[in-house]
Formats: sequence, C-alpha cells, structure tokens
Amino acid sequence: MASVDLPVPFPRTVDVGTRYALSVHSLGLACCAVELVAATLGGGEPPPGAGDPVAVLVVAGTVTDAMAGAVRRLYDQLPEPRYVVSFGACSNSGGPYWDSYCVTKGVDQLIPVDVYVPGCPPRPEALIDGLRQLAAKIEAGRVDA
Amino acid sequence: MTEFPPLPPLPPRSRGSIALLEESCTSCMLCARECPDWCITIDSHTEGVPTGTAATATTGARLRTRNVLDRFAIDYSLCMYCGICVDVCPFDALFWSPELVRAGFDIRDLDYQRDRLGALLPGVPPPPAVDPGAEEPKELAAARRRLQEG
Amino acid sequence: MSGTSAGSVELGERLAGLVEGTVKRSYGDVTVDVPAARWVEAVTAARDELGLTFFDWLSAVDELAGGFSVVCHLADPVGPAHLLVRTRVPAAEPALATVTGVFRGASWHERETFEMFGIDFVGHPALLPLLLPAGFEGRPLRKDFVLAARAAKAWPGGKEPGEADGDAAPSRRRTQPPGVPDPAVWGPR
Repeated sequence: MASVDLPVPFPRTVDVGTRYALSVHSLGLACCAVELVAATLGGGEPPPGAGDPVAVLVVAGTVTDAMAGAVRRLYDQLPEPRYVVSFGACSNSGGPYWDSYCVTKGVDQLIPVDVYVPGCPPRPEALIDGLRQLAAKIEAGRVDA
Repeated sequence: MTEFPPLPPLPPRSRGSIALLEESCTSCMLCARECPDWCITIDSHTEGVPTGTAATATTGARLRTRNVLDRFAIDYSLCMYCGICVDVCPFDALFWSPELVRAGFDIRDLDYQRDRLGALLPGVPPPPAVDPGAEEPKELAAARRRLQEG
Repeated sequence: MSGTSAGSVELGERLAGLVEGTVKRSYGDVTVDVPAARWVEAVTAARDELGLTFFDWLSAVDELAGGFSVVCHLADPVGPAHLLVRTRVPAAEPALATVTGVFRGASWHERETFEMFGIDFVGHPALLPLLLPAGFEGRPLRKDFVLAARAAKAWPGGKEPGEADGDAAPSRRRTQPPGVPDPAVWGPR
C-alpha cells in the first residue's frame, strides 16, 4: 500500500489583537460538524483571551424545522456582542435539502447571520478563513455590536 | 480581504469551484435542468446570424439563429458541488477548479455571475495526461491535418 | 450481511412454508412476502425458529394503487443470514399489527412509519410522532405528497434555450421539473 502524506497542520488561530476575546460556540447539526471538528481538533489549548468577550456562534449543518426553535433559543441566550457564522450550504440556504418538507431554508430565516461560508462541506481552512474575515469586520467596526 | 490559510497540496481534480468558459456556452440549458439544487440561472436570447451571401438574400432562406448568453449565474450558497453540470455540459463550457469560493458577508455575494465565473478560469488545471498507449486526442489529429492541408 | 448465502434462501423458504408466504430473490436479497393477517406470526417464527434474532429495520413503501408494502429487515448476526419480510396493507385506512411484542426495538421504527405514511400499528404502546415538528400536517413520504418548495420556486431549467425571464409566451406550456404537479392542478393561486 502506498504511503499517504498526512495533512499539513494549518494555523488555527484567529488573530483579533488584544481588543477582543472570541469565544466560538460550535452548533454542529449534521455532516458539516465533522469539518468543524477537523478545524478545531488538535489545535492545543488557546491562550487565555484578553479583551472584551465576543460570542461567535458557528451553525454547521442542516437546520430542520424541528430544531429551529432550539437554534433560536440558543442565539437568544448568547450574551451580546454576538455574531453568527453560517457554515456550509445547508445553513446558508437549505443547500441540497432546499426542497425538503422539514428543512429551514437557511439559518438566516431564524437569526441574523454575519458571515456565510460556502461549501458542501467547506474545508476546515474555509472555516478559519470565515472567522478571520469576521474578526477583521469586527475590528473595522462595520458590524453593529 | 484577509489571506486564506495555507492549504495542503491538493490534487488537480479537487472540487473547489466551477468556472465558466463563456465562448463555449450555447445556452442549451442542460446544466440548469440537471442541477439537483436548481442553483444555475441562465438567461439568453436568440440573434440572427447574417450569412452574408447574396444567394440567401434572394432565395429568402431561413435566417440562421444562434443563442446569445445574457446571464449565467451559479448560486454558491445553494451549490452542493456535485459536478453534474460539469459532467452533462455537451460543449465543455464548465470546468472544475481547486480554487475555493471565499466566504461572504452577504449571501448575495455568493451568487456568482458570469464575470466572476469567468475569472475562475485561470485556476482551472490543465487536463490530465492521456494514458500511455491510449488513442491520440482527436483535436491533435485534426490540428495536424489542418496544418498539412494549408 | 449478504443475503445471497444459501442459508438465507433456505431460511426464506422455511419461513414461507410456515406462514403461507412466497419467496423472491432479487439483487442478492431474499424477500419473503407474507399475508398481512400472519405478520406477527411470521416475525415471531423468524426470530424463534430461524434464528434471525437481530431486528434491523422496519419501514413502508408506497405502492400507489396497490396500497403500502411494510418491510422488515431481520438478520442472524452469527450465520450470517438476512431476510426481508414483507406484507401488503390496503391504501384506504392502512393498518397492521405491531411487532413491538416480538422486538421492542421496532417501537421507534413503527412510530416513524406511522407519521411518514399514515399506517396504523394496532397494539403499539405509544404511536406518537417521532421526527416531524409539532403541527406538521400530512404524510410526507407518500408519493402524492407534494414538495411545496419545488412547486413554489420557478425552475431555472424550465426556460427554453434562447429565452430570458418574462419572455415566455403565456400560451406556451412550460415543462415542469420532476415531482412538481401541473400548475393548473396544484400550486400557488
């Protein structure tokens, strides 16, 4: 059997300077959760965050109508300032299940979304890219906190 | 825009995004019909092609028409990257590219029109080499024949 | 688990003999069709006399005018052997005896089959909805259940080559995508 090159570890850090401390809440609902885990696993303990705490909710996976209430309640319970990253086609717009009888067509039907990461599923690096773009947006002060 | 994290070396067949070669598209609508997500939108109109010979002008032969593409959009927020559109295109106007679609702040940023789809073309890798012992591609044989003829 | 083993065929024939059923082989699977009145007897015999002690799956197939086929996958993990036991219930007021007395694990499968197809499992301890959200109307896995999203959204592939939005002649009938009924029959008014 041929030998396989293991993936090169990629930087999992999102540099937001010292003004904010991002706490990322992962809501893994379906297959995108696996890529979410791949993005965060093995990254080691993050350094203690200095600065104002900022909550980021990453919705990864299909939002079914049965789960819609729970997703909304989870968002309502997050302290402000809070931001939402929609990870994957299902949470962006319903994705491949857009025509299903029980799927919410995009988590933005329930909660306001700040960053949409496309993919089915997106690569773990794409999640880091999405978080970095969000961090840059927060820093630039273009988002209503 | 922030720099993308480094990616490991990806095989050329990686599915990152789909690029459109506009010149090859005839608006046949096959990709839009076969897409399971209904994420491809195509608008086109027909135009008469002047044949430019006196013979057709006098005989009143039916004017030849061709389809002109007005709008070609792939909604990457819906796309599930299955590749059915790439496979079904009879004119090879769609290509896989390993270049990923970047995240956007607005979901409408993920709806790529034909300008951005065309801009993905430089990232499309060259086709894989033909297997040794396989038949020569027909384009090569045709090009060689054209050179010999004239 | 392979159903092509000779053991599965022999088990299928034995079961069919016990409950007056018929055996069918297709795509490597052995299917035993049994009368609906002997459904529980068939599943019990499969478990006790044929050694198919692993209950794998129970669901239904909408056979349109033919009613519903209720299918049950049973397996012998040691054998290995696998059988698909199947019966037919009528389309109008479909009902079948529950097999929760034989396999407790069938409880959730029967709840799902009830809410998706509308088949009543007589004797089930609590035939409550399992997956659908509260207030959902209709039986989604029936073939006559229309997916509203497909009927409401304009199919991008419905345009003819050389046509743009709003260009279509109103008299010309547009092709509908698969699964969407004719707009004259069902759809937004």
